[in-house]
Amino acid sequence: MVALRINGTTYEAPDPGRNLLSFIRFDAGLTGTKYACGEGECGACTVLVDGGSLRACQATVGAVADGEITTIEGIARGGELHAVQQAFIDASATQCGYCTPGFIMSAVALLGRQPRPTDEQILDALALNICRCGAYQRIVRAVHEAAARMSEPAG
Amino acid sequence: MNEAPEHGLHIVGPVATTPGAPPAATRPSRWVSVLADGSVVAYAGKVEFGQGIRTGFAIEVADELRVPLERVRVVLGDTALVPWDMGTFGSQSTARTGLQLRRAAATAREALLEMAADRLDLPADTLIARGGRIAPAGGGRGVAYEELVAGTEQERDVDDAALLTRADEFSIMGRDHARCDALERVTGRAIFAQDTVIDGMLFAAVLRAPSHGATLSALDVTAAERMPGVAAVVRDGDLVAALADTDEHAEAAAAALQATWDEAPATASTLDLPELLLRSARDAFVTQEAGALDDGFRTADAVLEGQYYVPYVSNAPMEPRAAVARWDGDRLTVWAGTQRPFGIRTELAQRFGLEEDAVRVIAPEIGGGFGSKSPYPAAHEAARLARVAGRPVRVAYSRLDEMQTATVRPAALFNVKSGFTNDGRIVAWQFDAYHAGDRPFLGRRGSETPYDITNARVTTYTCDSPLAAGSYRSLGGAANHFAREVHIDEIAEATGLDPVELRLRNLAHPRFRRVLERAAEAHGWRPAAAPSRRGAGVALGLDVGSYAATVVQASVRGGEARVERVTAALDCGLVVNPEGVRNQVEGSIVMGLGTALSEIVEFHGGRVLSNGFARYRVPRAADAPVVETVLVGDADTPSTGAGEPAIVPIAAAIANAVSDATGERQRELPINRHLR
Ligand code: FES
Ligand code: FES
Repeated sequence: MVALRINGTTYEAPDPGRNLLSFIRFDAGLTGTKYACGEGECGACTVLVDGGSLRACQATVGAVADGEITTIEGIARGGELHAVQQAFIDASATQCGYCTPGFIMSAVALLGRQPRPTDEQILDALALNICRCGAYQRIVRAVHEAAARMSEPAG
Repeated sequence: MNEAPEHGLHIVGPVATTPGAPPAATRPSRWVSVLADGSVVAYAGKVEFGQGIRTGFAIEVADELRVPLERVRVVLGDTALVPWDMGTFGSQSTARTGLQLRRAAATAREALLEMAADRLDLPADTLIARGGRIAPAGGGRGVAYEELVAGTEQERDVDDAALLTRADEFSIMGRDHARCDALERVTGRAIFAQDTVIDGMLFAAVLRAPSHGATLSALDVTAAERMPGVAAVVRDGDLVAALADTDEHAEAAAAALQATWDEAPATASTLDLPELLLRSARDAFVTQEAGALDDGFRTADAVLEGQYYVPYVSNAPMEPRAAVARWDGDRLTVWAGTQRPFGIRTELAQRFGLEEDAVRVIAPEIGGGFGSKSPYPAAHEAARLARVAGRPVRVAYSRLDEMQTATVRPAALFNVKSGFTNDGRIVAWQFDAYHAGDRPFLGRRGSETPYDITNARVTTYTCDSPLAAGSYRSLGGAANHFAREVHIDEIAEATGLDPVELRLRNLAHPRFRRVLERAAEAHGWRPAAAPSRRGAGVALGLDVGSYAATVVQASVRGGEARVERVTAALDCGLVVNPEGVRNQVEGSIVMGLGTALSEIVEFHGGRVLSNGFARYRVPRAADAPVVETVLVGDADTPSTGAGEPAIVPIAAAIANAVSDATGERQRELPINRHLR
């Protein structure tokens, strides 16, 4: 039995060997994190562990039991969207939307360590995410836009 | 009739009144409701799989009804709630369903005007609808829709003569709008088939054949049945599955099934395919015939022949197919991310010997499809397993299942022979297209040449296909366009003419000329004889009634081609949501770029070897070019499709750009294989 912190809530996980993505989707009921390949190749399952991005399909519950996990459901604060979420809406960076949570989480992780990334840094951070609908140009634009908004002085 | 509880004004009508239409299509159904809380609901049998159709419909209905966009809710893809529909394919959603919704909304507006005229005791022609109210044209508050429909329950037939809003009076249509369902997508609240979980549900793991056409010869379930969490191992004819309390328990049990398969000996693999297509060609069908070919070749100054090839490619949508089925006595409900909810309903009703009304298929949000989610075996599997198990069952394909079982775009080989004059007039055109598989409509799409050629014959063939060939964005249209538009470039090269100029010399159609000229101009095309070594390429196309032209800037470094910049012009008539159309164009470009540069489904016999994203290279962020979309349609020309046309010219434009850069003609895809 391990305890798992997801979006500030503690969940009990009886089996430390349980796949993290399956746990998040079916045991915690947070289906915003997607399954698309199960092989670590597409980034649809990206979550944050202590602020860094992790492909949940490649991890077990036991491996992240000490960490603070954040999923797409956990990044909006007090009813207000995260700047990256808002930027995705504004840039129409989502088509079918199946890849969207994964891209947003990869972008949030990037902006956490690199507040004003260059094109190259964005492409690098998104290299493991696939959008089959091909919204890439808008996704990159959205990340730049979010970075700009996040570094504006609060007020 | 739909089971919609709300009170208000409902506009009803059948989908079709034509004899021969399926009974479900001729039954009247709700299209638009104006409810007592002032909100508007639009119903359509289409599904949302990324094309933004929910937003498009909302825009059309809001504009016709003169209400703010946020007031319109669109219900899609639930067979119990929406009008019958053939399926979401062929870019018919805006052209047909959107038009019907506009008519229904206009009918509602006229009905509200009449009701207000009664209420206010003023002639209807002195009143106008605006901002969700009917008010005197000369001023005054008038009356809100909610007041007019409160306490009523009225039905009216869709009036085909209802006055549609003229293009110059649009206030919502034709402008940029963000997707009305974007919030759910960025917050993770959008529920897809893979996310559908219901009470009491068992997770299934289905035993999959290792190859297309393999049959199960022996099976031992003893070990699987003893695995943890297993509720049952079900065998229902050819369907074998482990049902368990969790996904992982089901998968582990399925892995413990001892199965022996009979596989046909592999007769062909990836490299044998071009030869197999030619050898097995049958069902010659002439899609275009003009003049006399022999005369044409005789009068030509020069004759050119070329052979072109495209391999199998996979739709590979991000969401693998999944379905959940629940039986309530003899009633069946299935959640399935299919492009054909009504088609799947018919199939399920037939399989289980039920009335169609006893089956409800609900298509939730769909994570892409591009044609491959028309066949939806997961729905059948879930329904069969749930029936045996006596509990709801979820069948969700893994990426491997998806890529092993989904249909692929037919591989195709082309023999093209042309005759032309020294000044670049094409006088003879012989185009033979060999598309894998037995479904002729795939290969026929887009095979005709749009150029004005006096003597032409275009013939398509069906051929053996080791893998199941099926629908893809534009069906075989993009493949046909690839061969044709590369050959056209070769004529330009042979005559020393600029590729845009050569095309214009052979094109009379004004919409075609305009779309090409606008693409060239917006890109900054500089005329030059090919190859110019600049990496510039052009191609044009026609699909689902829309005209497209694409200009590409590419470069080649270290044996890899890169597409840097794409300018795509599209004429799809009236544009309901320009932002939505641009998004579709960009997506088509990226998808077509994958087929041009890197995508190929490799196989050995019936085994798909390219069965995951590590083994099937789709474009990633760093591969995506800068795309500029130029919309050139007229607002008074009826809307035609926008989700597919931009994919038809792109592979040829890229191949032509790479040929222009290297001086070596690219006639086979994917290019990055052949550059090395
Ligand atoms: S589902 Fe985890 S990387 Fe694709
Ligand atoms: S929006 Fe469909 S996969 Fe990215």
